Amino acid sequence: MRDRPTGEELLACARRVLREKVLPVLPGEHKHDLLMVLNAMSIAERQLHYGEAPEQQELTAISALLGESLADPGEANRRLSRRVREGGGDPGQPQRTALFAHLRAVGRQRLLESNPKALNGAAG
Amino acid sequence: MEQNLLRALERFIVTVARAESAAITSARILSGGAVQENWLIDVAIVGGAHAGRLECVLRCDSPTAGVAISHGRAHEFALLKTVFAAGVTVPEPLWLCEDSAVIGRPFFVMRRIAGTAAGHLLVKDGCYGGDRVQLAERLGRELARIHSVRPPQPALDFLPWYEDAPALHSIDLHRHFLDGHHTAHPALEWGLRWLERHAPARGEISLCHRDYRTGNYMVDESGLTGVLDWEFAGWSDPLEDLGWFCAKCWRFGKVDREAGGIGVREDFYRGYEGESGRPIDREAVRYWEVMAHMNWAIIAIQQGERHVSGEEDSLLLALTGHIVPELEWEILNMTESD
Repeated sequence: MRDRPTGEELLACARRVLREKVLPVLPGEHKHDLLMVLNAMSIAERQLHYGEAPEQQELTAISALLGESLADPGEANRRLSRRVREGGGDPGQPQRTALFAHLRAVGRQRLLESNPKALNGAAG
Repeated sequence: MEQNLLRALERFIVTVARAESAAITSARILSGGAVQENWLIDVAIVGGAHAGRLECVLRCDSPTAGVAISHGRAHEFALLKTVFAAGVTVPEPLWLCEDSAVIGRPFFVMRRIAGTAAGHLLVKDGCYGGDRVQLAERLGRELARIHSVRPPQPALDFLPWYEDAPALHSIDLHRHFLDGHHTAHPALEWGLRWLERHAPARGEISLCHRDYRTGNYMVDESGLTGVLDWEFAGWSDPLEDLGWFCAKCWRFGKVDREAGGIGVREDFYRGYEGESGRPIDREAVRYWEVMAHMNWAIIAIQQGERHVSGEEDSLLLALTGHIVPELEWEILNMTESD
């Protein structure tokens, strides 16, 4: 068992130091670099926060949609993509609503990790 | 740039400018990338049509760019010549040199323009770009002039030609890319299927900039000084450029200013319609805004992959890959109901 602080906690703390102590004294041309660093650290932090559970849920959901038990998230998403490309989510198709709800749920989780600000006030 | 190259460049300018003499008074590198270099060059010219002080930019392949793209500068020069002749505000293309013997690589020289292109400054700060109504109108007019270039154009025969509807052509390219990529993107597949089901037929084909957006034109305090970044130009449906310019993903956070984050959509349209003499089908532009998000998502995956594959270690490229979820989300928003 690992001791705390966890990787997520360390990243959060390191980010505070960079933002509060380093950013204000950096010359202008390097501020942008540090802002990118802070953004990258935030994404890593949020991925650690959510862990592997979302990918497992995604796999379970795709397995249910496709009616077969799939073990590999990459392969599951390839099969789902094929289903969508072949029109499985077109208007009038029985799975349209469930497919779209799945894409929404996965999309929301991807945004929660990559850019949660984009979810503020967004539709859906 | 070394002395012997500067002397060779001066001799080249004397010849092409039909001058008595040319003396380079300043040469400094503006930006050196993996693919191209831009040099700011000042030349004192005696005699000929360009007599006087000439401020220009020399664009060449970077020393490490390799052979594969060595035709790039000639193509870019041909595009600039064509659109300059069509009345588009671009840096005036002056001379092309395809002979590598002069400075070691092909290059071209264009007149220098002033200002800034930084998108986040343009949408924020009132001191760049001048009056917003005029700027939006002007950008509409400029785009209409680009679209006045119709095929066939022998000088542009390097641009890929295709017989499909432009939308279907793009969809095919995107699917082909996704099929070869290591990670599937079901949300993008959803968007591509929507784009396929709603694809407009092939209509009139124009020269399109295909990256016409805030960030790719230069302004000074009073307004537009030039349209930049022509490397994606190609034949397409003119509405593709209108959709790209207005798409929410290119408003730099100013989502309520629908014309590129800098102005009102109707001001932009008015400029376009006035110049082209043709009305814009408002509803049809929306299709191309969905396509804009799709194009940008595919490019963002490709940019991220340049980092992931080890081709280019870059935090900017790595973070660009993380824009994809936001673009997918917007695509879902726009395609949910039909």
